[in-house]
Amino acid sequence: MKKILALQILLFVIISCEKEGEFAQTNNQTINLNSAVLLKTGQFTTTSGISGSGNVNIYSVNNQRKLILENYTIENGPDLKVYLSTTDAPNTFVNLGNLDVETVYTIPNSVDLNVYKYVLIHCQQFNHLYAIALLN
Amino acid sequence: MKKIVYILIMLIGCNSFSQGCSDAGICSIGNGFSSAIDSSKNQIEVGNIFGKGLEDVTYISPYISYTRVFNTHFSLTTKITYSQASGSFGTRGNIGDAFLVGNYKFLEKNNKQWSSLLGIKIPFTGSNDKINNFSIPMDYQSSLGTYDLFLGADFKYKKWNFNSTIQIPVINSNANSYFDEYSASNDFPTTNLFERKSDVLFRSMYTFKSKNEKFTYKPNFLFIYHLGNDSYEDIFGNRQKIKDSEGLTINANLISNYKINETNKIELSIAFPVVYREIRPDGLTRSVTLGINYKYSF
Repeated sequence: MKKILALQILLFVIISCEKEGEFAQTNNQTINLNSAVLLKTGQFTTTSGISGSGNVNIYSVNNQRKLILENYTIENGPDLKVYLSTTDAPNTFVNLGNLDVETVYTIPNSVDLNVYKYVLIHCQQFNHLYAIALLN
Repeated sequence: MKKIVYILIMLIGCNSFSQGCSDAGICSIGNGFSSAIDSSKNQIEVGNIFGKGLEDVTYISPYISYTRVFNTHFSLTTKITYSQASGSFGTRGNIGDAFLVGNYKFLEKNNKQWSSLLGIKIPFTGSNDKINNFSIPMDYQSSLGTYDLFLGADFKYKKWNFNSTIQIPVINSNANSYFDEYSASNDFPTTNLFERKSDVLFRSMYTFKSKNEKFTYKPNFLFIYHLGNDSYEDIFGNRQKIKDSEGLTINANLISNYKINETNKIELSIAFPVVYREIRPDGLTRSVTLGINYKYSF
């Protein structure tokens, strides 16, 4: 019985893995800044206890609005998301997805950037705000 | 043994496109009514369940369980599960849930016996495991991310068991963040901050033994009704109901037990759904499961 228990625990350990498949591979989009039009820009201010800095730019590219993070060094956290928000708190927002400095975020056509004036870095799982940028 | 192999081949041969249920949920809890431990006070069980899910997702789900029999009426079972899912998103494994289930059996009279069950399920994860920082569907999560309460009753008459159990998510700690909109796959619905409704299970099971009483066979049917449409939070932060996620699942299940001696048993089980819900956002999409476990009593 001891051997079987040991084997079972070993099995738990052996299969504790994470391996990426075709749908979880980083798709490194790039923006040709020569043809892109800068619509909005902002600088992140971190919340209490969070360190780092960074900028956010929104471009118009082929009739689509793209959000990218630049010089981003804000400390990492669990389950961080990029929100477009109407205020500096995550009350009325658009969730653009997981925080990834390499990602080019596409903004849905229905979003009015004169209403959604803030970009937030927000931990969804623990409802903790990390950083705020006002778009100018 | 030939009979077991024959029955297994027949069942595997059935063409099943179906929902299936959680390897670590209401299905296995309902089975707890029939797990008699003879005269031993303790039982350790280790097992593995192999499953095939929606699209190309496959599962390996090992578990460890310990049962303590306090007297002829009352026993307590603890169980810890693990699950690894593999498919087009990749491979992700994690510890799943802990179960604590109490079972009280009333005295048997005239071949009739009632028993009751009360249990809880505690998730080890918020159902938000990721691969390469990509949020992945519920189908790849090792737990539903809910603290559940189980209440059940069983009626045994001769070789028949009829039991019913309700699984109620009491606290929702599901933090899944999968968005269909942001995914390369179109096969799985959005389950961002997923909220799951309760289930009710009804099981009818017939038990028969071989002449030498070494083999026990328990063919059974499980009827599971999902009591409402589940919901998620969309990209605008609004809660949306998932239409047609409410409904009935019927699983066919065969459990075959081989008694090596008084203290050692091996059990094989195969299960597949014959009726299933139209939308299964919770990832309980097994089209077939094959389980093997070893029980040691002392």
